[in-house]
Amino acid sequence: MKRNRKIFFQLGIFIIFITLIAILINNLTINLLRTGIGFNFNWLLKPASFSLAEHPLPYSASDSYAWALFIGWMNSLKVIVSSLVLSSLVGTLIGFARTSKNSLLGLISAGYITIIRQTPLLLQLMFWYFVGFLGLKDNISIHIKNLFKLSNQGIELPGLTLSSEFSALLFGLSIFTSAYIAEVIRGGILSVSRGQWEAFRSLGLSERKGLFFIIIPQALPAIIPGLTSQYLNLAKNSTLAIAVGYSDIYAINDTIINQTGRAIECFLILLISFLLLNLVITNFMELINRIIIKPIKHN
Amino acid sequence: MEPIVIAKNITKSYTKGLRALDNVSLTVNQGKVLVVMGPSGSGKSTLIRTFNGLESFDQGELNVLGIKINSTHDERKIQKIRRKVGMVFQQFNLFPHLSILENITLAPINVQKRRQREANEYGMYLLNQMGIDSHAKKYPNQLSGGEQQRVAIARALALKPKLLLFDEPTSALDPERINEVLDAMRRLAQQGMTMVVVTHEIGFAKDVSDQVLFMDSGKVIETSTPDIFFSNAKHERSRKFLNQLDKH
Amino acid sequence: MNLIITFFIKLRKLFFSNVLNSIISLIIILILFSIFFNIFGWLIFNANWKVVTSNLPLYAFGSFPANQQWRPATWIISLLTLSMLTLLGPEWKWLRKNLLLAWISTVPFGLYLLYGGLGLLPITSRHWGGLTLTILLTLCSSLLSLPFGIVLALCRQSSFPLVKKLSAIYIDSMRAIPLISVLFFGQLLIPLFLPVGIEIDRVWRAVFAFTLFVSAYIAEDIRGGLQSIPSTQIEAANSLGLNKYQIIKFILIPQALRIALPALTNQSIGLFQNTSLMAILGLVELLGIGRSILANPEFIGQYIEVYIWLACLYWFVCTIMAVLARHLEKRMLINQAIV
Repeated sequence: MKRNRKIFFQLGIFIIFITLIAILINNLTINLLRTGIGFNFNWLLKPASFSLAEHPLPYSASDSYAWALFIGWMNSLKVIVSSLVLSSLVGTLIGFARTSKNSLLGLISAGYITIIRQTPLLLQLMFWYFVGFLGLKDNISIHIKNLFKLSNQGIELPGLTLSSEFSALLFGLSIFTSAYIAEVIRGGILSVSRGQWEAFRSLGLSERKGLFFIIIPQALPAIIPGLTSQYLNLAKNSTLAIAVGYSDIYAINDTIINQTGRAIECFLILLISFLLLNLVITNFMELINRIIIKPIKHN
Repeated sequence: MEPIVIAKNITKSYTKGLRALDNVSLTVNQGKVLVVMGPSGSGKSTLIRTFNGLESFDQGELNVLGIKINSTHDERKIQKIRRKVGMVFQQFNLFPHLSILENITLAPINVQKRRQREANEYGMYLLNQMGIDSHAKKYPNQLSGGEQQRVAIARALALKPKLLLFDEPTSALDPERINEVLDAMRRLAQQGMTMVVVTHEIGFAKDVSDQVLFMDSGKVIETSTPDIFFSNAKHERSRKFLNQLDKH
Repeated sequence: MNLIITFFIKLRKLFFSNVLNSIISLIIILILFSIFFNIFGWLIFNANWKVVTSNLPLYAFGSFPANQQWRPATWIISLLTLSMLTLLGPEWKWLRKNLLLAWISTVPFGLYLLYGGLGLLPITSRHWGGLTLTILLTLCSSLLSLPFGIVLALCRQSSFPLVKKLSAIYIDSMRAIPLISVLFFGQLLIPLFLPVGIEIDRVWRAVFAFTLFVSAYIAEDIRGGLQSIPSTQIEAANSLGLNKYQIIKFILIPQALRIALPALTNQSIGLFQNTSLMAILGLVELLGIGRSILANPEFIGQYIEVYIWLACLYWFVCTIMAVLARHLEKRMLINQAIV
């Protein structure tokens, strides 16, 4: 009797859900017919006929939309991976500064964190792009010997040229994410009980050795999940590339929609791209978890 | 004398053939106090939790206040029982987000559909009985353990139950707080409340109980009056258990 | 005099406790001085604040007609007053009964003031903008996504496998995609899913998209709260004869909301910042107004002044929100047992 009711109830919800979807799809088909767009993926193979300023692999306007999307993917990955590395480094430093015994250092890192976290990322990105890079006049550029050159053309290092768009995005994303990572690191360090600090001090270990051999290994299990979610956020935030004119996967989807009007197909492509990306990041962090955390726990 | 609880051959097994309850039968008559004793893991908590349907069982039949339930665990009948049976837990289990008075009036207002004013008045009366009416507006974490447990008793009384179940009500308390709770329970017994109490408090069992039921490994080992149980227990296992209790 | 000495001793303890610390402190102080000197010099002598001062009404109200600007102004002032009241508020009991209601009613009140009608000059949403629009987007979206998020969280915890699966798919895919895409496709796709002839304007499409997005995050926060309620609470409620729906309503939701409160307030602060994304999707909220002022030939190139001003505004409102949130959390803590 109870089981039957449960199944009946579920069936009811399912029917309501299906009806709702049906109404939405009905509206959609009517609208698509009205505008004459339809739904298919044939256009993917047609020439994209737009050019891209940045492409890690050969690309020209006569290449297909599919190839343009793939280039967008590569561009996204490029900025995500490099910001991931940079923000982790900066974030770790600031996280340690935040917990350091030097109060002034703690105060400054707290200030950094509140300024970065309490202002919108988009505003910060625009600041780095329009003020940080484009703001530099043609003749003003910062040279450090022949190793480093910063100008409105971007950053030049020996053997590596970074466009101003990429650099602004890299800077903005890394600085924004680093403030969050710093908080994750701080939380991790604080999660280790005070007794552990007292224990290694009483053993005569130096502060630095104690931090590296006693505290950090115990803080890592609390840090890794926080880092994972910050990296996922970083990947999602990288789509703000469009604000500084960097052609990542989202910006290319946007261009394609403007050209072809294929909003639904592009939405599905974007959804799948990000589900994949999330899968990659979570699996990567799971791997790190397995390599670093498990051995610690077993010892 | 009207029986309030009649349990017949109740059996509950866990997956690996272990029995939490093994063929337990008992009767509790109106106005009587039954104390259930036994080592930890003997099934005494499981037993009284079957009385208001917090635990199901596999075999046997249970009659609480004339409502019969069996292994099918009929929700509607259990709901009926719960409205007439109050329960007090080891960890108090007060609702931390509600004030003391709200804790007590929640069920009368929503289960028995009483008016707020009426429920408040009765709630204040119960708090007064428990000697904690001055805390009515406070929240549970502002009270000591003993006070919280007295609130829990008042909450259980708010539905005017015919039977009260106590699941180790003093085990989580500081030693100096135990008596204030036991005194409240004594007064209830004097007023003729039917109670089933799982406890290790020998003094309470001697003074208040009409019968002591001793359990081990899910089985009822013996049921005696407290005089006999504490001076001249029939079973070897009961005597062993009492000896160990004495040592502590 | 004594006070000053102890102050200096404390200062010495804090900053110059040993050689390394003193060196670090000195270097930091030097760097800070030079940075502050430069920045303040620039802010006072070089910056041209006319781009801010002459456009204050634009930043606040967008292109709302000048003679009607008292309407959004009233609304913002009432919000500020309410914030002050909440901070100075009397006992929690009173607060719960009246202030919550007051906060909820700010939305219809604000909408009435903005839309007009019933005695006020009607004004379409095209003229809404600036801080007013930013606050409106934040308030409407948070208020809508809370109930939606609660329902999603309950569905994900439900004992019906189908309901559980559907809500899990929704929550997980919403959390996987970037907000900008939800907003963009919200603007594009919502009209496609509606019957012919029915149209929703840009502002409400944005609110709808924000709600769809944020409620998935709120659902996860509340699910976390639900999972951390000890099962003994449900047992106690069961033993009192409360039924399933009463337990959800009186025991589970209130406690889950209290546990999730810090996460929820963070969501709404995040939402406030994220409304800036609408600037690249055609709404002239706070950042959008900044961009359109920068596009004005008179102020072209004055990026630094505008961005610093906007950053200060965002920072200020975020800080107010954070202070309110912390205040609320402290109030809640009073009646939250540490389990």
